[in-house]
Order: sequence, then structure tokens, then C-alpha cells
Amino acid sequence: MKDKLKIIWNGIVPSNPVLILAIGLCSVVAVTNFVKNALLMSFAFSFVLILSEVIVSSIRKWIPDEIRVPIFVVVIATFTTIAALLSHAYFPSVYDAIKLYILLVVVNCIIIGRAEAFAYKNGVFDSLLDGIGMSLGYSWVIITIAVIRELFGNGTIANIRVMPHIYQPALIMILPPAGFLVLGVLVGWLEWSLKKKKEAKK
Amino acid sequence: MNKIVKLAVVLGVISAIAGGILAGVYQFTAPVIEARNQAALKAGLLEVFPGNYKFSELKIKLKSPDPAVTFGKIYKVEDSSGNLVGMILDVTTPGDQAPIEMLVGVNRNGTINGVKILKSLETPGLGANASNPHYYVNKKKKITFLGQFKGKKVTDPFIPKKDVIAITGATITSTAVSRGVKAAGVAAYEYMQKAGGS
Repeated sequence: MKDKLKIIWNGIVPSNPVLILAIGLCSVVAVTNFVKNALLMSFAFSFVLILSEVIVSSIRKWIPDEIRVPIFVVVIATFTTIAALLSHAYFPSVYDAIKLYILLVVVNCIIIGRAEAFAYKNGVFDSLLDGIGMSLGYSWVIITIAVIRELFGNGTIANIRVMPHIYQPALIMILPPAGFLVLGVLVGWLEWSLKKKKEAKK
Repeated sequence: MNKIVKLAVVLGVISAIAGGILAGVYQFTAPVIEARNQAALKAGLLEVFPGNYKFSELKIKLKSPDPAVTFGKIYKVEDSSGNLVGMILDVTTPGDQAPIEMLVGVNRNGTINGVKILKSLETPGLGANASNPHYYVNKKKKITFLGQFKGKKVTDPFIPKKDVIAITGATITSTAVSRGVKAAGVAAYEYMQKAGGS
């Protein structure tokens, strides 16, 4: 039981795909300007990652080694297209804003990386847990970044006004450069607190 | 040789299954997406021509007087007794980052009735304020950027900082929208004058 929980925890902090592994960052910067964009992206990403890992691990015995990558891509592309169609049908306005990044989940290195590094070598249940952990790890980071950026850049959180009207929003926060700034600060903060924890253990 | 055949078969089978699943999801979502698009269009038409009007698509091509601006679908607006009240043009104008698509409603007497932006990728906080219903170019009278076009004569120059109030920090967007509205207004007014009462 404990090592099952460890698989989930692994994705949330020790091997966080965004802050520690630092992969798939282009969409992180792009979709974190507003909370609603980050939320839809989290759903789409989790949907694709979890289902792809489950499918890849359940058919891994029949996947010939030589063509495993094309098969991963077919599986991932299928789920990405499904996620895109569903978002288009049920969240049309948000979908219009971040359509490109949802479609680009196909080539997101986190997903193909987990399919190759984890799902191809582990059982279905472990892969499911890994998918959940990685999705949570991805989601909490991009939603946190989005909350910070939208709060200071637009004075709102998820389109609800939080800052008083007198507050003049710092536009840079919802423009791309701030994506890098906030991400950098978060990476630094996590590294610092992990290091501190390690030293405390000694 | 045998190996290659086996690989091809495995990949083929997996792709076929994936294709089948996608076809199913598409069948399921296509009507929803279509219905949403229709509803959005209807709402857009009503926004540029509010009131009890009848909208129907006109199968004509209008030439844009501005080479950078292109027209898509064209609708005519009639009142309940079938008199032509105005026209609505689907206009595409080059924005700051990507083309801006908007609906422009033109009255028969040659004034702009309303403008609505359908699609744009302008900079958040700057050009995106063009379609922000809470961004006022005239704070006292609560007139939005698009709202200021209402009632404007198509013969006006439509130049930001002259007869159009520009959005702060977004001159390119302001100019693009103004040009699009002007081109649509001129073309629609010309057509309606020629078409006469029909």
C-alpha cells in the first residue's frame, strides 16, 4: 500500500513533471495566463495522460519493441483528439482560446515520456497511479501559476474580481514573459524547500 | 520479411481501432458543436441588430473597398413586414497577431448599427479590450470600444485618434477594427442603395 501511494506522491513532488523534470514547459507558459485556461488544460492533460498510460500498459505485451513509439503516438493522438472534440462541444469559449495547446498535448513530452519510461514497463494499476500522480503534479503547478498571474495581471481569479477596482493590473503578468518569471520562482522555491528538508534530516 | 509484415499488421490493427473510436466520438460531438455554432451565430446577429428582426443569408459576393479586409457570409435584416432594414457582414480584418473576425451590422440609412467580435487573438489586457464589455473608451457615458461605432455614418473617416477613440496601448487593434467596420459599412450601404426597395 505504501509503495502504491509513493507512486502517486512521486508525480506530485519528487518527480514533478514541470518543476523537477522540467519537461513540456511551452504549454505551461502559454496556458497559465488565466485560471480557466489552466483548468481546461489540466483536464485535457490528465484525461490524455491517465488513459494513455492505462492503454499502453495493458497492451504492452503485444507491442513489438521496434514500433513502440509510433504505437504510443497513435494511442496518445486518439485520446488528444477525443479531449479536443469534447472540449470544443462543451467548453467552446475556453477551447477557442487554448485550442492549439490542447491539440499539442499529442507531442507533449511528459506524456510520451511517461508512456515510454513507466507504462511500457509496469502493470496497469501502477500505470494508472503514475498517471494520476503525474496529472496532479502537472495540474497543481499550472493552476498555482495561473492564480498568481491572473491575480496580479488582471485583478481576478477565475474571472471573479478579487483585487479592489483601484488596483491597476500589471499587464506583464498575463503576457508570456511572466510565465517564465513565475515558473522560475516556483522551481527555485521547491528546490530550496526540498534542500532545507534534506539538511534538517541530517 | 515476416517481421515487417507482423509489425505492419500490429500497427494497422491498433490504428484501425483508434480510428473507429474517434469516428464514434466525432458522431457524438459533431451535432453538439454544430448546434453551439448556430446558437452563437444567432446570438451574434441579434447583438448587432437587436430587436424583432428576421435574418436570412444573402447569396451574393460584395467586393471589399479595402484590400486588407475580406467579407465572409452576408445576411440581410428584415422587419416583420418584410422591409429591408439593414445588412450584417461577416468581416475578417488583419489584427495584431491573427485575423480578427467580426460581425458588422449596417443600417439602410448608411449608419453602423452594431459590431461584435467573433474571433480574435489580440494581446490580453491591451488589444483584447476591444471585445471587453467592461472596458470603456468613454468612462462617463460607459461607451465600449465597439459601442462607439453605433450610429456612426459610413462616410466618416474611421481613423483612430481622430473620429474613433483608440484603445490605450492597442493602436494596431483599434485601426484594424475601424478599417473592417468602415469597409463593411461602405460596401453594404452601396449595395443597399443599388438594391433599392427589394
